[in-house]
Amino acid sequence: MSLRQRLVPYWLLGPGLLWLVLFFVVPMYFMGELALRSGTLTTGFTFDWAWANFPDSLSGHTVQIVRSFFYAGTATLLALLIGYPLAYAIAFRAGRFKLLLLFAVIAPFFTTYLIRTIAWKTILSDSSPVVSVLQTLSLVPPDGRVLATSGAVIAGLTYNFLPFMVLPLYANLERLDLSLIEAAKDLYSSSRQAFLKVTLPLTMPGIVAGVLLTFIPAFGDYINAQILGGTQQAMVGNVIQSLYLTQRDYPEAAALSFLMMALILAIVVLYIRFAGTGAFMGDDEEEVA
Amino acid sequence: MHILESRLAAAVAVFAVALGLTACGGGTVGGGGNGGEVTTAKAGPVSGKLTISNWPGYIDPGKEGTVAEFEAKTGVSVDYIEDINENEAFFGKMQPLLEQGESGGRSIFVVADYMAKQMHDLGYLQNIDHADLPTAFENLQPSLRSPAFDPKREFSLPWQSGMTGIWVDTSKAPEIHSINDLFDPKYKGKVTMLGELRESVPLTMLAEGIDPGKASNQDWLHAIDRIKAAADSGQIRHFTGNDYTEDLNAGNIVAAIGWSGDASLIENPNAEWRMPTEGCTLWSEDMVIPVGAPNTAAALDWMNFVYQPKVAADITEYVLYISPVDGVKELLETRNPELAKDQLVFPSEQFTRKCSSQDSPPDLEPVNEAWQAVITG
Amino acid sequence: MASLSGGWAWLRRNALPIYACLAVAYMLIPIVVIAVFSFGATPRGKLTFGLEHGFTTEYWSSAFSLPELNEALLTSLRLAALATAISTAIGTLMAIALVRHRFHGRRAANLLIVIPMATPEVVIGASLLSMFIYYSFALGFTSLLIAHVMFSISFVVVVVRSRLIGFDRHLEEAAADLGATPLATFRTVTLPLLAPGIVAAALLAFSLSIDDFVISNFNSGTTVTFPLYVFGVALRGVPVQVNVLATMLFAVIAIAVSLVLWQQRRAEKLASVRPEQEATPIPIGAAEAT
Repeated sequence: MSLRQRLVPYWLLGPGLLWLVLFFVVPMYFMGELALRSGTLTTGFTFDWAWANFPDSLSGHTVQIVRSFFYAGTATLLALLIGYPLAYAIAFRAGRFKLLLLFAVIAPFFTTYLIRTIAWKTILSDSSPVVSVLQTLSLVPPDGRVLATSGAVIAGLTYNFLPFMVLPLYANLERLDLSLIEAAKDLYSSSRQAFLKVTLPLTMPGIVAGVLLTFIPAFGDYINAQILGGTQQAMVGNVIQSLYLTQRDYPEAAALSFLMMALILAIVVLYIRFAGTGAFMGDDEEEVA
Repeated sequence: MHILESRLAAAVAVFAVALGLTACGGGTVGGGGNGGEVTTAKAGPVSGKLTISNWPGYIDPGKEGTVAEFEAKTGVSVDYIEDINENEAFFGKMQPLLEQGESGGRSIFVVADYMAKQMHDLGYLQNIDHADLPTAFENLQPSLRSPAFDPKREFSLPWQSGMTGIWVDTSKAPEIHSINDLFDPKYKGKVTMLGELRESVPLTMLAEGIDPGKASNQDWLHAIDRIKAAADSGQIRHFTGNDYTEDLNAGNIVAAIGWSGDASLIENPNAEWRMPTEGCTLWSEDMVIPVGAPNTAAALDWMNFVYQPKVAADITEYVLYISPVDGVKELLETRNPELAKDQLVFPSEQFTRKCSSQDSPPDLEPVNEAWQAVITG
Repeated sequence: MASLSGGWAWLRRNALPIYACLAVAYMLIPIVVIAVFSFGATPRGKLTFGLEHGFTTEYWSSAFSLPELNEALLTSLRLAALATAISTAIGTLMAIALVRHRFHGRRAANLLIVIPMATPEVVIGASLLSMFIYYSFALGFTSLLIAHVMFSISFVVVVVRSRLIGFDRHLEEAAADLGATPLATFRTVTLPLLAPGIVAAALLAFSLSIDDFVISNFNSGTTVTFPLYVFGVALRGVPVQVNVLATMLFAVIAIAVSLVLWQQRRAEKLASVRPEQEATPIPIGAAEAT
């Protein structure tokens, strides 16, 4: 291969990598740098290796961090429970409606995130028929409400991130070789056993990808908490947003989001070590010329 | 360990790039605006474009509205933006620009007294020369001519005044008359408070018999603790900006701390603004001219324009807030006698005798920090 | 009892498809609500989710009567168009490099592309803001554009990449056999076949940009995009026109996506039945240009 040919991939990658490095990686560095400053807006922020900002921001907002784990975790679990059968149905039982169903799954993306969350806010408002139905079904106490509770926030998160769960699951399920399940049945296993011993393990990469792609953005979300939640539902994202935009306590804000980023990076890198980057994108091989 | 080496090399490269970028820019971040010099807004021939940032529902809109009238009279094309929902949030958005001496294209902001002072102290505002605003200073209400935060009215001119009290849904909770009622467990989860430090906390202090103007930091922190307990227990549903009106409309709440003039935003026919038994907060919002404001000549002309009693009366009829312009009441007595008698729009001394202004705590930072912890949840 | 057990059996067999329909209905609830209530009459012209006042089409006919809303929408469209163009171009090139070439640092590049997709928007927005603050860079359309391109690139790469992987190399080999240069092959065979993937990626980038709230909230300064406008008005009553425009936007994107999907399906059908007809005819000149 001539030198010119060897350089081709670098030329192709160049602009994109440069953009990502300049506007994704480098800002992370600046966020870290900002986290090491102290001061206020009026006095100016001076760089003085304020390492204390990191543990301080953690200890000052432990409640919200734990809460975010809980909300994102529950939403992810619900999305998995709802999404897996859905993805399965689309992959194997949809026939000619497959494309249509897939389309319906991603359709929510065509409306603005905010608008559909606000729509939920009104659907779930105290005087709406939906809430009355829930009250009759005793799912909600008679004088209780749905909005401004943890339930509303989790429901919002589940709804908004369900496509992120369904699509990787579907991509993975679609590649499933049905003959393996038939083979299992030929060997006298029941449907349930076939599912548990063949299907589930084989679709595990899809499940893990879906879980990651759902949990991580849900963890950092703040819109659902802000619109559907009340005074007790603030998540880490709300704190970061408030610190940056309202309180202008940049060092603490930067420290908190830097820590969050580090945590997520650790999870992602661990996963990629385990499964390879191809698995992250839903396929199992990486093609090379 | 080929892979490890290449990864390490990549990391070092990125770090080097970053260090290099650090070297070629930045340094100090923040720390005040103008460099000390306060400019005075220049008057002159009036033409061109004018951009104003204001709170929503604060002007009479439409083809017969004040903006249209001004445009017709002066030929200036006005871009009237209703993008202020909370003083702090607006400040947060504008601060990086103001720091650079820019105003984001806006020539006038309308912000609360304390925010105007804060901006002025940071060097973000231009001064206004009284000679450029004859009508305004002729008609400005005597009680507003010399406020504590701007005794010579050097950088601010009132837009509207108002009172903060309690909006009550009379069909659901007719007996609410005091801030203390908002803490009644009977209404758990059905009340909201404003997220503004200088609204909810002084009102709570009033409810405990403390004069906000003379309160110590301890008093402030104590009141914040009381509110925090209510938030934690779920008594308070939300801390709001303008959005308490939506909750009232949707029937999600029975009472909210809110502003006297918001009737035009509230659809609930049973909702009524009440003066709390212990008093309200009485505040003003001021027009200010930021640094870097384009077309200050038109801005000054606008400020003068809205101080004509006839124009001010039009505005008052729509926004239902307290006008800073002398002579509006008399004009409305013939045109709209009901309105002229409305205590919310033309409150008597007697009506507001127990009201305090939007004071700040003696030592702002710890109080602000405690408050932020409460409203962020 | 035969019919009852038969009924049960039918239910059990079709439980999954029935469930799928229910789940999909759940996904579509807000969209239906948004569309339906864009026809609801309200006294103030602000959205209420009650139909006591009856139906009207007045908001559809006055859909563009709010100057602030129009400006916000235009800003969003401009931003999305530019961001899509840039990120699709950059991302496609990257995908080609990743799939078709072997080189040092491939793993690292993959990692760098994948990580932004997993990062919460609040972190991306906040870190960009940190950098802009540091350089006292004026926040506005430019900072928004930078941010939008940044988060779109990864998604473009993933989509184009998956299309590339399922690519039939024989067509390109055939072109090479017939004497086409690599560049000509790329231009006349690869690119057209790749087109549906590129279009799909562009659509995805466009939707992401139009929809973005969090990152824009941090980096917009005083520029107002459509989602930012909606957030502002949500506090004091969403004008019904917002719902109208949201429904319109939904319809436009839905139609575009269905066209792409339909086109893709058609192409695949054709390819499976008559493979030789799908290859774009190679220009005669290429054969002689060796």
